[in-house]
Formats: sequence, structure tokens, C-alpha cells
Amino acid sequence: MEIIEEKQNAVNIFKLNGRLDSNTSQGFEKKIFQAITDGSKSLVIDFKNLDYISSAGLRVILKATKAIKREEGQIMLCDMQDYVKEVFEIAGFDSFLPIVPTMEDALKSF
Amino acid sequence: MAKKTYSFELKSNLSELDRLCHNLQQFCHSMGLHPKCLFEINLALDELFTNIISYGFQDDKEHQIKFTLTPQKDLLILCIEDDGVPFNPIEADTPDLECSISECKIGGLGIHLIKNLMDEVCYRRCRGKNILTMKKKIDAHEAAG
Repeated sequence: MEIIEEKQNAVNIFKLNGRLDSNTSQGFEKKIFQAITDGSKSLVIDFKNLDYISSAGLRVILKATKAIKREEGQIMLCDMQDYVKEVFEIAGFDSFLPIVPTMEDALKSF
Repeated sequence: MAKKTYSFELKSNLSELDRLCHNLQQFCHSMGLHPKCLFEINLALDELFTNIISYGFQDDKEHQIKFTLTPQKDLLILCIEDDGVPFNPIEADTPDLECSISECKIGGLGIHLIKNLMDEVCYRRCRGKNILTMKKKIDAHEAAG
């Protein structure tokens, strides 16, 4: 999996490319927690090019969401492919995670 | 449409998830199955495989985990076999030592996904092996290729 990190104003953007499973989730966890440790309070995860997610990936997203909330920051998830979104729905995570259709929607929310 | 049983073995290492994905892509392509079906089978088998590797083996030896996919009319029967410690994932919650999440039940998330994606899940312990069998309905038009 490829992770592209960008920064727009004070927002850290993580563009995920490929598959987020138990083999790749640790690498993503390190990167996102590094950003939180470095003081980032506004995060966007772009799912546009993410083809696959398993429960290991869901766990990292959940942990990151909890961590950023403790810092009184905000995380937004955007542009999910249908199958990936369905995994969030089955897990019930769509009820408490902010999932929006586009990057524009995500950036507007800060 | 291929009607034969397709089986393969993976080593007890998470890096084998790429090979699982590759093998399933080939199988689903030969069966003419819908990408959604591929995604769901991949997710179910990934969750079980990851579970087995994380909790199934008490030694550092390399183990083989066997996958068998059998098309049967409008069903796909998926079977996964390992020689790890007896473990029925349908009944047991997956321990999660890192998270203490208050608002959702994080343990057992993988098996929760599996139960939702598959039409039937059945566990048995036989001759020192865990054998998990799952049935997935496939639409006639999905397998028309």
C-alpha cells in the first residue's frame, strides 16, 4: 500500500492507495500517529484509491479517531469506494465516524 | 465456467495476504464472479487467516494453512484448515489488547464481518485441525461468465 501525505493549510491529508489489511495497517498507524504526536489537529483520510479494507484497517481508523478527539482535533474520511464503505457500514462505524463524499466536503468541515 | 474445486496453501505469515488476494482474483476471474463477490470472499478469508496467524500457533514454526474453494450450483463453499490450537472463531471473541473502545465492540469485529458477508459459517475440530466452512450464495448472473 502507498500512503501519500500532503498538507493544506493546517490540514494533514493521507491519501491511501491499495489495500489496508493486517499486513499494511501498522505502517499506516505509525504515520497517522506521528502526525497526531507532531500536533496535527485536523486530519483527512482520502479513500479514493483504496481498493480494500479489513478489520485491521478499521481498528487503525478507530484508534486514530479516538486519539485525535482526545486532542480536541477532528478527523474526516472521504471519497470511499462502495465496497469499502459497506465494510464501515457492516461494522457500524458509519454511525460515529464522519464519512463525507468528497475531499472538498472534508476540507470545508474544518 | 470453471466448476472444479480450487485449493491452495499459504504459509503462516501475514505477508501471504498478497498471495491470498492474487489467488482469489484468479479464481473469481475464471468463475466470472462479480468484483463485489471477490471483495467479500477476500475479506472473509483474510479475517480468518489473520486470526489464525495472530492467535492460532504457540510455536515459532512455519505452518501451512489450506484453502479450498468449491463451486456448487448457486453456492460457493469456502473451507479453511489449520493445525493451530483448537479455536472456534464463531463462538469466541477476538481478544484485542491494544484497544479499550467504549462505544463499540472492537473484539470480534472480524467474525462480525464474516457473519454478515457469508450465508453460513460452520466450525469443526477434526484430527487435530480447525476446519471452518463457509457458504456464500452467488447470483446466477454473477456466475454467468
